[in-house]
Amino acid sequence: MKDSYPLLLAALSLLVALLFCASLLIGPAALGLGDSLAALLSGRGEAETLVMREIRAPRAVLGLMIGATLGLSGAALQGYLRNPLAEPGLLGVTGAASLGAVAAIYTGLSLVVPLALPLMALGGAALASLLLLGLAGARGGALTLILAGVALSALCGALTALALNLSPNPFAATEIMFWMMGSLADRSWLHVQLAAPFMLAGWAALAFAGRGLDALTLGEDAAASLGVRLDRLRLALVLGTAASVGAATAVAGGIGFIGLVAPHLLRRAVGARPARLLPAAALGGAALLLAADIAVRLIAPERDLKLGVLTALVGAPFFLRLVFSTRRRLA
Amino acid sequence: MSLLTLRDLCVRLGRRTVVQPTTLEIGPGELVGLVGPNGAGKSSLMRAALGLLPAAGFSSLAALPAPERARAAAWLPQSREIAWPVSVETLVALGRHPRRAPGAPLSTMDRAAIAEAMARMDVARFAERPATELSGGEQARVLIARALAQAAPLTLADEPAAGLDPAHQLACMGAFAELAAEGRSAVVSLHDLGLAARFCTRLVMLHAGRVVADGPPAEVLTAERLREVYGIESFIASADGALVIQPLSLTR
Repeated sequence: MKDSYPLLLAALSLLVALLFCASLLIGPAALGLGDSLAALLSGRGEAETLVMREIRAPRAVLGLMIGATLGLSGAALQGYLRNPLAEPGLLGVTGAASLGAVAAIYTGLSLVVPLALPLMALGGAALASLLLLGLAGARGGALTLILAGVALSALCGALTALALNLSPNPFAATEIMFWMMGSLADRSWLHVQLAAPFMLAGWAALAFAGRGLDALTLGEDAAASLGVRLDRLRLALVLGTAASVGAATAVAGGIGFIGLVAPHLLRRAVGARPARLLPAAALGGAALLLAADIAVRLIAPERDLKLGVLTALVGAPFFLRLVFSTRRRLA
Repeated sequence: MSLLTLRDLCVRLGRRTVVQPTTLEIGPGELVGLVGPNGAGKSSLMRAALGLLPAAGFSSLAALPAPERARAAAWLPQSREIAWPVSVETLVALGRHPRRAPGAPLSTMDRAAIAEAMARMDVARFAERPATELSGGEQARVLIARALAQAAPLTLADEPAAGLDPAHQLACMGAFAELAAEGRSAVVSLHDLGLAARFCTRLVMLHAGRVVADGPPAEVLTAERLREVYGIESFIASADGALVIQPLSLTR
């Protein structure tokens, strides 16, 4: 029996590399292929260099990292909860990070201090992970974690709505609305520097959780009897998701469906093994997000179509397909 | 050498004591049947012995660190959970988890143990199929094969024979009996007293969280005790040198 897994990872890596390059080459500033590369690599041409190095490169890097974060954490959560409908937002981390960002806009802090918004969003995510671990208890299983996550999401949603409701002026409300839609437009290297350490740490924690996820296929009791430390696994999962998804939300807003769809698309290709799904879903998520971010620039270059809106537009029909295929299987 | 020692192991769920202080020793080469009515505390006793349930008292397995415990004992829970459509072979290979370094490929020894376990439970012909697509009884056999692949000196199994056809019930108990003959041991909870009488070298009968009998099947399964514990009248005879038990009616 030949193992096609390395081939799959290689193909996905190639796809991500191609989309990354495409993301660098597509944008409102009409630069030729040769000019773009010359500007990026050797700094030829002042305006071109600025566009390539300060606008497009950070945007592509963020797209890659955020997509990988969403795919990876989605796959890890689905594996831990043994539920194909789990997604990173389920734990309430996305909601809490959004709430932090909304608070920064609402109070006007984001206008005074340039990095107030992402920093407060990160703070929200950190607070959320502590609350989650406190609420779900030391010995609790998957179910208590979901319940805690749902409670936290609901609370954050309500507080965000309250901020919108009481917003001091229509401009703040509009800004909050637009921010929550999620976008990668006009992000700088500063955003990359801020988010990258948290994302890398989160990835490491989630990768650590991987091996235990395979054993969890047999249920929590059997996994524990196979030597898996469920308490450590859950800690790694919650902290890993909070750090990486919190950072992603802090710099790009809420981007839905990638974390749900990427693991789904690749599950069969990896033989449904949760540990193998992690790297594949990370690459798949990166590819999906880069593609979506290219699409928003191609579809409506001058209308600033939001990334999160597009992923939801594409994701919803995918969900419908899932309903139909599940129905067929049960029939 | 003892494979499992319990001293005054006691389980409380809320205010209810589901397992009264129990002292028990399992040696090598034993196939111990754990029998008793629903709610007698069979599953709780086994889970507490494995350290999966908080308990007072001492269990030699619960006292071990998790990775060491996984090499000392395999556990087959009653709930037959298979969360993802992984192949049967992949599922059985999970039994090798405690013996593999993180990320290491399967060794020759791992492959041999997996192949042997699949052959014993008659699931080798499904090896490539997604485990979730098999019938309930077939899934049960695959899960037993997973526990066998763990190759632990002691296997604890919660109702492994439930839901199997007669041929595979015999094969399942036969597999545990073979383990015992090789010097490995198994503790198996059973509702089928006929299987318990026929295959087990020793029976431990639980009633309301208390061990009420412990010994060879013929001494434990007496008409008197079955009346007291289960409230049933039974036909008891012997065939092929082993005990035959058939419950007949409820005691009035």
